[in-house]
Amino acid sequence: MVGSTSVLSLSQKSQIKQIAWHGLFGGIGALLLLAAVSLVVVNALFLGWSDFWHYLGRPRTWSSLWITIWTAALATAISLAIGIPAGYALSRRRVPLSGLAHTLIDLPVMVPPAAVGIFLLGVFKSFPAAELSTWLGLQVHHAVPGVVVAQVAVTLAFGIRLIKASFDAVSPRYEAVSRSLGASLPRTFFSVSLPLARNGILASVIVIWARAAAEWEALMLFVGGIQGRTDTLPFAVYLDWNGGILGWSLTNSLFCVVIALGSMYAVRRLGGRGHVY
Amino acid sequence: MSTRSRSRGFESALWAAIGLVLAGSVWLFASSLYQTDRDAVATLLARPWFWRSVWLSVLTATVTTSCALVLGIPTAYAISRFAFRGRAAVSVVLDAILVLPASTVGLSLMVAFQYPPLLALQDALGFRVVHSLAAVILAQLVLSLAFGIQAWRAAFDDVNPRCELVARSLGSSRTRTLLTVTLPMAKGGLVAGVVLAWTRAMAEFGAVLLVAGTFRMRDAGQFSQLARWLGITNADVLSVGMWMEIEGGRTGQGVAIAFALVLICAASVYLLHRLASGRRAPGRT
Repeated sequence: MVGSTSVLSLSQKSQIKQIAWHGLFGGIGALLLLAAVSLVVVNALFLGWSDFWHYLGRPRTWSSLWITIWTAALATAISLAIGIPAGYALSRRRVPLSGLAHTLIDLPVMVPPAAVGIFLLGVFKSFPAAELSTWLGLQVHHAVPGVVVAQVAVTLAFGIRLIKASFDAVSPRYEAVSRSLGASLPRTFFSVSLPLARNGILASVIVIWARAAAEWEALMLFVGGIQGRTDTLPFAVYLDWNGGILGWSLTNSLFCVVIALGSMYAVRRLGGRGHVY
Repeated sequence: MSTRSRSRGFESALWAAIGLVLAGSVWLFASSLYQTDRDAVATLLARPWFWRSVWLSVLTATVTTSCALVLGIPTAYAISRFAFRGRAAVSVVLDAILVLPASTVGLSLMVAFQYPPLLALQDALGFRVVHSLAAVILAQLVLSLAFGIQAWRAAFDDVNPRCELVARSLGSSRTRTLLTVTLPMAKGGLVAGVVLAWTRAMAEFGAVLLVAGTFRMRDAGQFSQLARWLGITNADVLSVGMWMEIEGGRTGQGVAIAFALVLICAASVYLLHRLASGRRAPGRT
């Protein structure tokens, strides 16, 4: 046995080295993956089947899910309406003072969402927005519209970034050809650029929706928890944890995990990458 | 409508969207200035608690980023370079962490440390993780690591594997290739990832609130020797401190902390863009 190591041929040695190399790097990755998966499994085990079924039967679980789905969908629609033109402009036009402009655009994603919640409260309690919402008879803070506003505030910036990346992937040559053949600027956009960037934009839509559905911290300060009205799933997780109903909190939390995994799987199927930044 | 006017309308729609976003961002931050005043800022700056909290935040974010580096760089390298079954599944799981609510992250960590295997381990060590300073780092690590891995992976993806193969074919070992070819070539992206991971750790609020909570009311005797030596007893992570101030009715000071966080984050975002523009030619991605 002692002699056998020296008998190893050069190719065997390099094979061992390769395995060691893969083991070293892959091992740490595998460890992280294991930690992530076992975290979810432990949570599911802790909850247990009977509690899970019990809370699944409660209408509030489903109302939270429904609130999450529709507010996030509305927030995504608003983010897209602003994000598609803004993303296209950033991709194709030179923005003056681009360092400052990009910093300003990205800032709302990078500051803690809880701080965004505080700032939103500032916006809707001061001059134009406060008067406007009274005039329209639509209360935003501490009400359901606030949920959507908070979600837009934290998703818009990376929505723009994702959409810009989708347009960046489309060669400007196609647009130049279309323009040279006499198509107008808007026509080129709608019949060339947009269809070519379609998959990227669809993937962005899913990521934006998933991120909006995961928002909680901004809601906590801006909207507050109103049972059955503003408690989206992530918010309900916190409210029930605070209220000591751990089982309910865990049920909602598992829903959030499923939403996150499902949406990222869909993004991957579309060929996009779940870049949030 | 003529073609020209339609084009003009289209062009102005693009710029209107950009203007709306920029104005919205400025307005978002500016409109809260009235919520704080000179007195509140002065009171805040005079409180030793605030400075201990700043120090605690910087310290925990830095420790978190170091942990993220040690765990994240090998993982990112493995995902970027090794072909293995289930690579897509690994990516999906790592991406999913980025769109996981902070409350879910915090709750899962809480539950995991109450569950028998880890509970037994903590009993054996005579140390509880939840509501300790270690919990702060753990809570920050989850998202910081997920963001870091994504950025580092992109940085490794940007390095053409041919360069590594050439180095290998010239007789360079794997380690040497990594140290002298891959890492230097990916440097810009790797540094950007570090900045991103640090900023994420600094900005983490929800998970920290659930897992660690606040330390300001704690008895000084409950902190470890190390914490006392570092001067981080009875301090809060800035984001949690901000929340506590607002909840405690001291809105002025809470908003002032929020602005402090904005300044820190603005500096890192600016740095990120500088790094990104140094890495790529302008106008290309």
